[in-house]
This record gives sequence, structure tokens and C-alpha cells, in this order.
Amino acid sequence: MTKLAVILGVPIALLATVASLGVVVVDVREGGPDGHRIVVPVPLVFAQAALAIAPAVVPADKLRIPDNEALEHIGLAREVLEALAQAPDGELVRVEERDELVVITKEGRSLRVRVSGAKENVSVNVPLHLALQALPDEQGHIRTAALAGALGAVRFTDLVDVQDGNDHVRVWVW
Amino acid sequence: MRKSILAGAGLLALSILPAVTAAAQTGTAWLHVRVEEAKQASKVAVNLPMTVVEAVLKASPEMIEKHGKIHLGEEHGMKMADLRKAWKALAEVGDAELVTVESEEENVKVMRKGDLVQVFVDRKPKPGKDGKAATKGAEEVRVEVPVSLVDAFLSGEGEEGNIQAAVAELQKRRGDIVRVNDEDSHVRVWIDEQNTQSPAGK
Repeated sequence: MTKLAVILGVPIALLATVASLGVVVVDVREGGPDGHRIVVPVPLVFAQAALAIAPAVVPADKLRIPDNEALEHIGLAREVLEALAQAPDGELVRVEERDELVVITKEGRSLRVRVSGAKENVSVNVPLHLALQALPDEQGHIRTAALAGALGAVRFTDLVDVQDGNDHVRVWVW
Repeated sequence: MRKSILAGAGLLALSILPAVTAAAQTGTAWLHVRVEEAKQASKVAVNLPMTVVEAVLKASPEMIEKHGKIHLGEEHGMKMADLRKAWKALAEVGDAELVTVESEEENVKVMRKGDLVQVFVDRKPKPGKDGKAATKGAEEVRVEVPVSLVDAFLSGEGEEGNIQAAVAELQKRRGDIVRVNDEDSHVRVWIDEQNTQSPAGK
């Protein structure tokens, strides 16, 4: 009986520990009567570990954006994201067209982008601190360790929600 | 008893009302841009906190130097020193119509009125075929620039305009800055403390 408890208890405890550290869930639902549903849970700790060890296993030039125009604007992007993070909440952009509505709002520490069309609805939530950490440094190096650290703070966030006809894709961090 | 309850409810509503109306008031200056195009049935609204505008202007490398100053220089047609002199002379004149251009195509007026420099451009509609009444091409531009904004911009040294001081001055401005109306589109740029474009602001 004790053996059974240990055999069952250890994996359950491991699962509970991993889950308590956060899980990124990708949920794809196909429409129609024969539509499939695919749910892929990825423990956040795995993603963080992969990012943390990336500099050791990936060549340095692969973790760097090329010297081009984009690199020149990293400073501007950082300044804007920092200013946005400190700015009060509000609706930043609204584009209304005949068959589409695009709204970008700043809510707390996130930017929410919503696109509503006749057939498609998209909602993307961009945590500002994650976007800041995802920005390369002035030399174009992607700071994977900082990104790994920032991932931990996006728990309980809906990142992406796409409704296309009867198909539905959702990515969230639990 | 009923009257007391009604009076109490009324007082409660009155006390809540300012909080509700002030919900969108952020205390921060917001720059608003609204573009409406009737033909495309499109409306674009951009609302940016002035702090973000300042960050963009500060960090835009092509236009602005590290210290937030714009070079005007001779290549732009007028030396900054001449511009400062002209502006100082205009300040001494006070309210006046500075420029008036009247032509067949458009009327342009630049005037100083109180603490504003106003630029009005009225493009006349093109005459219709066979001398018929004019119908298309009319355009109306209204630009209002606070005098203090120009003062701040010209407070730089040498051939530089002080964009940082200008943005700081813009933070204090409330109201319309630019309005452009033509037959197809309406553009409005203004600053207030609302974080959205309320119906009243349309």
C-alpha cells in the first residue's frame, strides 16, 4: 500500500510542482463535426530552462539580430515601451473600416490588440515588460536569460485568441 | 421617510457623478489625432500620452540630436538666428495679421492673436465644367500654434531648435492644434486630458 502511494504520489507531486511553476497552454479547436481539438501544455519552467541555456548551445551569431535598419530603432522601441509602461491606461489606436475594427489599448502593464472582422476575431495581449525583455540590446544580442525571467511574470495571461470561422486557437499562460 | 430616501439617493448620485465623469480624465496630457474619410467609411483615432510622444521625439535619431534639438541650418532656407530675430520683432508688434495671400486658388492668412499664432488656409473649389458652379476641391486648414510653443522651440542655441522645451510646453497646451477639412476627409489634432476620444471631442 505504501509502495503504491509512493508510485502514484511522486509523479503527482512532480506534476503539481511543474504546474505550480506555470504552464503555457496552446489550445487549437477545429470547427465542424469532424474538427479536432489539440491541447499542448508546455511547462513554463521548460521554456525558461531552454532560454537560459540557449547561449551555451546556440552559436552567438544566431542569438543576434543582423546589423540593419531594425537595429537602429531598438533604442526608440525601448524608449516607447518604457514610456507606455509608465503611461496611464487608455485606448491608443482605433481604426474603424467597413468590415474591420482594430483597437489597441493599454491596460495595466499590457498592450491589447483586438481585430474584429466579418469572419475573424483576433485578440493579442502583449505584456509590456515581456516585450521590453524580448528587445535585443544595443548590439543586437537577444537577452535570453532576461526573457526567461520575464516569462515567469506573465502567468494567468491570455496571450493570443484567434477565432477564424469555426476554428479557434488560444494560447494562454496558466 | 420616502423623501429622505430620495434626497439621500440624490446626494449619493451627485457625489458619484464627478467620479464617473472624471473616470476618463487621467491628469496626463494626451495627444489625439482623428482622421475620418467618408468615401472609405474609415475612421482612425490615435490617442497617445504626451510622455510617449516625448519619448518618440527624444529617441528619433534621424531628426533629433541626443539633446533633443532640431537643426534648422541654412539648408532649410533660413538661419535659426534670423528666425529668432524675426520672432522677437513680431513679439513686440503684438496682435497682427502677419501674412495675407489671396489668389484664385486659395486664401492664406497667418496672424498672431493673443497667445496664438493662427494659420488659416482656404482652398477654393475648382470651377465646374462649362462654367458651372464650383463643387469640388474645397479645403479648409486651421492650425493654431501657441506663442509659448514657438518661444520654447526657439530657446535653443545656434542652429538648433529646442524640441524638448517645445514638447514640455505642448504638455501644458489643451485644445485644438490642427483641423483640416476637405470634401472627403476630416483631420483633427488636439490635446486634452482624456484617455479616449469622447463623443464630445469628435
